[in-house]
Amino acid sequence: MMKTDFRQERSLGAYIWKIIGYIIMILFSLLAIVPVLWLIVNSFKTTVEFNSNMAGWPKKFFTQNYPGAWRAGDFGILFVNSVVYTVMSVGISGFFSLLAGFGFSKIPGKSAKIIYSIFILGLLLTTQTLMVPIFLQVSQLDGVIGRLLEKVGLCAAEDFHLFYNTRFAVILVYVGSLLPIGIYLCTEYVRSIPTSLVEAARIDGAGYLRIFNLIVIPMSTPILITLGLLNIPTIWNEFALINILVSKTSLQSLPLGIYRFSGTLSSDYGKEFAALVIGLMPMLLFYLIFRKQITNNVGAGAVKG
Amino acid sequence: MDKTSLKEKKHAYRWMVIPPFIIYLFVLAFPVLLSIILSLSDFNGGRIFGAGSLKLIGFGQYAKLLSDPYFWHAFRNNIYIVLISVFGQLPLGLFLAYLIYRRIVRLGTFWQGVLYVPSVISVIVIGIMWNLIFSPFGPLAEVVNDFNRSSYQNNLEKVLDNYNYQNGDAIEDAMIDDIIRIDSKAARKAFDDPDKGIRETIAVLSDDTDEQLVLDLSNMLSRKWSSDFLNKDGASMWPILFVTLWCWTGMYLIIFLANMQKINKETIESAMIDGAKEKSILRHIIIPELQGSIMNCSVLCISGSLNSFALIYSMTGGGPARITQVLAIYMYEKAFMGSPDYPMANAISMMMVAFSLLLILLTRKIQKAFGGQDDEN
Repeated sequence: MMKTDFRQERSLGAYIWKIIGYIIMILFSLLAIVPVLWLIVNSFKTTVEFNSNMAGWPKKFFTQNYPGAWRAGDFGILFVNSVVYTVMSVGISGFFSLLAGFGFSKIPGKSAKIIYSIFILGLLLTTQTLMVPIFLQVSQLDGVIGRLLEKVGLCAAEDFHLFYNTRFAVILVYVGSLLPIGIYLCTEYVRSIPTSLVEAARIDGAGYLRIFNLIVIPMSTPILITLGLLNIPTIWNEFALINILVSKTSLQSLPLGIYRFSGTLSSDYGKEFAALVIGLMPMLLFYLIFRKQITNNVGAGAVKG
Repeated sequence: MDKTSLKEKKHAYRWMVIPPFIIYLFVLAFPVLLSIILSLSDFNGGRIFGAGSLKLIGFGQYAKLLSDPYFWHAFRNNIYIVLISVFGQLPLGLFLAYLIYRRIVRLGTFWQGVLYVPSVISVIVIGIMWNLIFSPFGPLAEVVNDFNRSSYQNNLEKVLDNYNYQNGDAIEDAMIDDIIRIDSKAARKAFDDPDKGIRETIAVLSDDTDEQLVLDLSNMLSRKWSSDFLNKDGASMWPILFVTLWCWTGMYLIIFLANMQKINKETIESAMIDGAKEKSILRHIIIPELQGSIMNCSVLCISGSLNSFALIYSMTGGGPARITQVLAIYMYEKAFMGSPDYPMANAISMMMVAFSLLLILLTRKIQKAFGGQDDEN
């Protein structure tokens, strides 16, 4: 057996390296995890105790911060909103991405290349750079369409609300922002499905919709799972866009609610810590459950900053 | 292929591609166009999509922006974040990945799992959390000051033992000098005239027990540290840069480690037979092999660092007094705080798009220029 890694190395230098390596790893890991643990531990202190003991262990575990914060911040509604936004946007964008990926890779045409590269260009854009124009567009579109409808005589201009302060607009914007990466990954993936399979099904008389249902979807589950694992945290944690798309509390997502909450209750530390823990728990659990798969996906480079 | 099939093909292609394309145009392409138009216009609220409500007035906003000190300040902060991302996150992630890959440390999956935790947490929570930690009377200050006090207390006890001092005894001059000498800077901070101040304090406390006296003196005379970086110009960006590093290094560790594991082991084996040292394996095998992923990660870093809005918004809000502002926050301020200046906000938005495209193009150019042979440096 060759000495291919440090495990077999027995020299003094190697031991020193090992010790330094462990010290570095332990330091960085503590740095990564201690602030989060600090947050969790402090959510079990009363505000009075926090003010006199910020860094230590609580004398007695006080659990009332959680129900208090949950009620004061309306986190029940926000939690449901976050689930709806996340499931809908990730689901719809995944479906559209696969559909378009199938079109781009298996139905070659002149326009396919151009439209595909327009989508790819979107990979370089970050949607939050565009929050001002997106806000203007969304907030003005209701009026524009409303006035049009009024002219036609369908309804009064003020009665038309589809975009600003609606779940629809939030999901629409999220779906749009997820499409470039989704279409990129799906097109590359569907390309690897043998074209002969599609051709054979065509010869048997299957329509494209049937092929999509019976061949493409079942064969593409791995890439759909990748997209899900990648996009669920992105959308769940999104802040910049929903911050401008929605002003009603009843439509806010959890991160937005946490931000507003910590702004209004800045002196009630006990509840604030509980709120922050409520904010970080869902994705921490998501990560703990799917750690292996997420790590593999991130490692494969399927990430967008 | 016959005609009906061709028609069906076109039809199918259309319904597959057109719905997502429309959404894409609505969410990304149209806003870019709108933003360009508005940045060149005199729009100040009111209806955009009505006849005659907009007048194009040219590049005035951009000229104004270029002579705006706040813009340059925000731009500079953005550059800091790009730099800490590319030259902080990447090398650190690479180094930690290397420690795991070469099995210098064992339990690789465990470390990897722990170090990735910050990347999954909502940046809003992270921003608020670090703001609390760094706050002037927060836990960081508490820990540091506790440490200062207890080390001061040790020294003080030694001095008092040296002089065999019991509370209420007569005070020797030399002892006072020794007490001051423990930390003369802090003593001068506590009292204008340390000598007189300490004497008076001891006199006042002469009824206390010895332990109480030591505690009170330590409280009074030990060094006080305050972590209000956020209120100091020059230092105020440090916490943000630190948190940026804290947040994303784990992600690059995972990417680099996965790509290291793809490297052919035999290359390393034969290098080791030839007596190559760990340092030269890293320099001459690993880094060149990872060149592609280093470049891809740089692009990720650059576009990610322009995404710092939520973190800074929740951590400092760009304050105090715009010191920690980045372009996205400045844009937000122009559009949504006070009386809106939409043309200016859109001009900033377009500058950001141009900035990120430029940086990404630059990265690609560097990648091409260095070919596949040279290493990172």
